[in-house]
Amino acid sequence: MKSIDVLRIMIAFGLLLVLHYTLRPLLAWRSSPDFLVIALLLVSIRVRPGSAAVVGFLTGLIADSISIDGLGAGALAMSVVAFGASWLKAVFFADNLPLIAFFIFLGKWALDIMYHVASGNLGGGELAMQLLVWSPLAAAVTALFGLIVLALLRPILRTSPA
Amino acid sequence: MALSIVTLTLPQAVRDPFAAAMRRSVVAPLLSLQYNAELTRRAWEARERTRAERDSVVLAAMTAPELERENARLRRMLGLGRRLRWGFVPAEALFSRSPGEEYTVVLSAGSRAGVRQFSPVVAAEGLVGMVRIVDPTKSIAIVWPHTDFRVSAQSADGSAFGIVGPHLGDEPDRYLLEMRGVPLRTSLTPGTLIVSSGLGGVYPRGIPIGVVQRELRTSEVWANTYLLRPAVLPADVSSVMILHPQRAGSGIDGVWDLASPDSLAADSARRADSVAKARADTERAARPAQARADTTARRTPAPVRRDTVRRQAPVRRDTAPARRDTAPVRRDTTRRDTVRRDTAAPVIPVVPVPPTPRPDTTPRDTTPPPTP
Repeated sequence: MKSIDVLRIMIAFGLLLVLHYTLRPLLAWRSSPDFLVIALLLVSIRVRPGSAAVVGFLTGLIADSISIDGLGAGALAMSVVAFGASWLKAVFFADNLPLIAFFIFLGKWALDIMYHVASGNLGGGELAMQLLVWSPLAAAVTALFGLIVLALLRPILRTSPA
Repeated sequence: MALSIVTLTLPQAVRDPFAAAMRRSVVAPLLSLQYNAELTRRAWEARERTRAERDSVVLAAMTAPELERENARLRRMLGLGRRLRWGFVPAEALFSRSPGEEYTVVLSAGSRAGVRQFSPVVAAEGLVGMVRIVDPTKSIAIVWPHTDFRVSAQSADGSAFGIVGPHLGDEPDRYLLEMRGVPLRTSLTPGTLIVSSGLGGVYPRGIPIGVVQRELRTSEVWANTYLLRPAVLPADVSSVMILHPQRAGSGIDGVWDLASPDSLAADSARRADSVAKARADTERAARPAQARADTTARRTPAPVRRDTVRRQAPVRRDTAPARRDTAPVRRDTTRRDTVRRDTAAPVIPVVPVPPTPRPDTTPRDTTPPPTP
């Protein structure tokens, strides 16, 4: 990967990180879009699985440091998701919007499942409600926003010719 | 992933300082962004809340004059009930909105409460109409704009009699009344109070019907017709009293104060203007908030002053034509008097008197007599 591509990816990642901490609190929806997941998936499909897992770990640490539920739960979940996304990058490379949306949806849902199970902050019916209702909703919203972000950032994310 | 698991399994005493260190260093800018975004959202919510509260205040201000009017109306109704003492049924009146029945009201009292067909329906201001159909719990009454409405009427001082019916004019005048069949010898001036005469056996004597507004030009030769402003306005027909036949038969002297017709006429005129005033009040209550909103948006107070000037003008213009309407009546009356004076002239024979020389003119004649 060329340095200019790395720079572009970093800019896109930074933009999404800023969006996560500005637009998300502004919206304050019960099922908000997770721009961190979108950013993570964007990076993961462009690097090797190991590097993707490290990026996921660091992103998860950032997210965990703000939450009080448990340091490491988000890091673990994001590492796994980033690793999986990097491993399945061929799927994501397909220029098929529904497929990309489904990929983001799955990534966010899997992240939520792992996060809540690992942190242990919810239990019983509350956990089931969160994982079966709110998490899929948040995943769907994230997928929708992911498509919008991908469409907007397409000029930045286009890889330069070799 | 192993690192993640290790982090997850770290003891709380280690994890918390680590997270705090991250919050103070790497994540600090992101935390600041999140904090500012939260503040912005709260400010937005506070603005929305303030706007909602302001709208509520405006709404309350808009309904306050209407509540005051309703309160005054209900107090007048209480006063009427106290003066009637017996033989009446209070009822709520609901205007029918179906086509052809615009001038009928459904009353919330029926035959079980003693209501009978042809029972007079009155309000604190005067006559409303007459019960036409009676059901056990409800009844239907016609009100004064109904084409079948007729009442034998007289002026409050008893100097003129006639039959009052609806004025079948165009929509703005449709709610006025006509007093027909007033003898030519009687002239009613604008502002004269017209009451029911008691003839006919349906309406007892002395219920205010309306106030003379002006004379109408009709094809009738031997009688005058006058346009009346009804004593009861449509807005007042929400709570009414239905008089029992026995009460109507025994008379209602003293229930309405006819001794001071000027005050009743003034009251009627005041209430007639109240529609325009109510509209102006409502607009006045609503516009300052709008103006304030504009001011907040533009930060220029000038449009508010301009709106205020524009709002007051129509009210003054509404009252002006009413005064102008009274002028032709006086002019017509003057003209009719002149005609009468002319027709009276031949009755008194005018005998031509030969001019007599003034006594003082003779001595002044200094012409010397002709000498023989």
